Amino acid sequence: MSLEAKAPRDFTYIRPRKRRLSEYEAVTCYTQPDPDVFDKQGWYLRSAEGRTAWRKESTRLRHPHWFDFRDPAGLWQRTYVRLQAEQERSLERAVEDAARAGAFADFEPTWVRELVGAHYRVWSFFEYGLFRCFAQAQRETLSDTLGNVYCFAGFDRVRHAQAIVIYLMDLEGQIEGFQDAGAKERWLGDPVYQPARRMTEELMAVDDWGELAVAVHLVVDPIFGEVGLSEMLRRHGPFHGDAVTPLVVSTAERDRRRNCDWTEELVRMVTAAEVPARDENRRIVGEWVARWTPRALAAAEALAPVHERIPRRLGTFREAVERASAAQAAIVAALEARSTEAA
Amino acid sequence: MRSLIEAHNRVKDFDWEPSYAKKPTRYPTRYRIPAKTKDPFRHLIRDYLSMEEEKDNRQYGALEDALARSNAPAKAERRWMEIMKVALPVVNFGEYAAMKSTGQLVDTIENAELRQGYMAQMLDEVRHVNQEAYLTRYFARHAADPEGFAQGFKFRGTNLYNRAGRAALEGFFVGDPIEGALNLQVVAETAYTNPIFVAMTEIAAANGDQATPSVFLSIQSDEARHMANGYSTLAAVVSNPDNLAFLQADFDRAFWRQHAFLDPFLGAVYDYFQAKRTSSYGEKWNEWIHEDWVGCYIEKLAPFGLKVPRWYGEARERMKWIGHTAGLIGFATWPLQFWRFDPLTDADMEWFERKYPGWYGHYGAFWEEYRKMCDPRAGAVPLSLFQSLPPLCRVCQMPCVFPRPDVSTVRIKEHGGKKHAFCSEACEFIFDEDPQRYLGYDTFYELYDGYDLAEFVRENGLLRADGKTLIAQPSLDDERMWTIDDLAALKIEIKNPLREVGA
Repeated sequence: MSLEAKAPRDFTYIRPRKRRLSEYEAVTCYTQPDPDVFDKQGWYLRSAEGRTAWRKESTRLRHPHWFDFRDPAGLWQRTYVRLQAEQERSLERAVEDAARAGAFADFEPTWVRELVGAHYRVWSFFEYGLFRCFAQAQRETLSDTLGNVYCFAGFDRVRHAQAIVIYLMDLEGQIEGFQDAGAKERWLGDPVYQPARRMTEELMAVDDWGELAVAVHLVVDPIFGEVGLSEMLRRHGPFHGDAVTPLVVSTAERDRRRNCDWTEELVRMVTAAEVPARDENRRIVGEWVARWTPRALAAAEALAPVHERIPRRLGTFREAVERASAAQAAIVAALEARSTEAA
Repeated sequence: MRSLIEAHNRVKDFDWEPSYAKKPTRYPTRYRIPAKTKDPFRHLIRDYLSMEEEKDNRQYGALEDALARSNAPAKAERRWMEIMKVALPVVNFGEYAAMKSTGQLVDTIENAELRQGYMAQMLDEVRHVNQEAYLTRYFARHAADPEGFAQGFKFRGTNLYNRAGRAALEGFFVGDPIEGALNLQVVAETAYTNPIFVAMTEIAAANGDQATPSVFLSIQSDEARHMANGYSTLAAVVSNPDNLAFLQADFDRAFWRQHAFLDPFLGAVYDYFQAKRTSSYGEKWNEWIHEDWVGCYIEKLAPFGLKVPRWYGEARERMKWIGHTAGLIGFATWPLQFWRFDPLTDADMEWFERKYPGWYGHYGAFWEEYRKMCDPRAGAVPLSLFQSLPPLCRVCQMPCVFPRPDVSTVRIKEHGGKKHAFCSEACEFIFDEDPQRYLGYDTFYELYDGYDLAEFVRENGLLRADGKTLIAQPSLDDERMWTIDDLAALKIEIKNPLREVGA
């Protein structure tokens, strides 16, 4: 036979989501082995405690083929790194331009001290805690497409944590008398942040990767992140002469939207009509949302005294919390509606 | 100008001791690691991202632009390109396993300095997984014969060498996370990435494959940081004398497990698939493993109580033959594989005898016979030169024929009412340390005992697009290719060799 006759010129073992195999699918799918897929013999090695490389019980969710998951953003390492390198470059430039334009002189002093210095910096500890959660969870997920979104979600967090630190160091150089100090003590002891720290530590103790994504991306980010970052820092910045902090926050918001999207996709996937365990999965996701909502609300509501320190407030703190809470409830309701439809 | 040192200090101060909820012990470790040590990773994420983006642009740019336009892979030596079909999926799982390993290190090691390094390595490993899968697909598109590249990640599940690869590389993340770091960072990355990602690129380039060096050298630029992670981890481990009690045993096991697969496999890849010949694997091994890794790296750790791995002497002795034995078994079992084999020429054999004196006396007869069996009309496969298929090692999954079939160190014994084979004293010792770690799977022969070779080929989809020509071939001759009918006519049964052997 001629070698050219009909010879496959692309991977033949991946079912593409769309008509053609995407670059993302080609470099990601089936890089994780699985005895139910191609690796019929099972796992060759166990730990001294008897565990295997991967375990179905690493989540309470059940799905016949986790490899069907696709990241709606279709990110692989090259596109992810490019995206984050762009974000970081935009921050580097924004600070440089603001310094050259003398824009830091316009920052309202109380705003800088209380909100950017005291409040925003504490956020880096929350982010670092979540980095550790997702770095561990990516180890356990039951497919490569899932492992990658978890890995990137973890990296998002540590990127933001470092971006905050670098930004504050830049401010130290630009704003007379500004000092990044005492954040860790506030994170560890200030009553304002204790519900947030409790929530973070409880997330670090979560042993189910499905629960972690649902809790963080569908509950904690939309409530606590929305109130503490978007409402307080991004919305209020421009009213205090600060056009830069909102840019730093907006990079984390961009990450947040992406992570919310794939988590919604994950929930849709496990509650799809053809999934035998869809009802049980729907019940479990509902249980997780119910478990984490009061924690996220408590963490957000405890920030009220920080809101009081904003010199020019746009509405009340209660309104901000209610807005975030309503938007988060809408995300969950839309998912529930879809999964009920599917059933 | 912000101070980099100060920035590093601040980004490493994110740790705290949780007091509201206790993090479960997900990956038990016997090791005690000090909370503060040296930092192996002195980059801010911002710098790391721009550095990696730049490297990606260069590497993918080269593949997408000049190399694709000149259709370079199609012009590379076909003998060499064939082995990339199996090598890339093997190495790829190593990267994937490494990503998981670093995830559990981030969770387990309460040390902010070390965690900085693991954090970047985690994303590096995703990079390498993607790069190698990309290269495999690139070859599917551009190589002279794409069959095998297009399905390699599927075939690796039941392939003889890929299975053994997975068995070794699962050691990166199944077990004590520090034992995983010893397997991954201290042995595989520090000792073996040089022969894999540096030395192999010389052979690739000499054989007209410019794409592999572009990718591998870009990967190796990350590996230097991973070696630093390994060194820092090891330095942290030896700084607490209590760790030494189990460190040596874990290190011994890590070295043997990686050696038992990587050395025979790499030996066969290097020496049996070069068309334009350069150095031998034996020479590279001496340079990178013996002189560099053992001679410089490990011996530096002697004052801290770490010794050269227990079976290193035996490994070094085995190096004379194990690559040739792995090559022989690979060629002999060609119908089970998913790439093509190019029989050795007289010039090849002269090279072998020169590089490995005595080679012809042990292996020459096989190669003379092999050449006669390439044409399907001869009606024979080289498996017929052997009485039976070799048993596979319960621990490392390699065929029990090493170092050389005539002086094999195979041993067979009963455990739990079943017979098990071991390729060496070391693998048997490792099994005896904790048998249940190695008993949780069906062996190859349990799955395929009694299969006709043709049935195995059909069931595993090892056929070309026409549905009858085998993907694997004993030669590069495109005119006379074996079909499933040729193979079926021979009626060769896969028999579990342990069925008839006494313990």
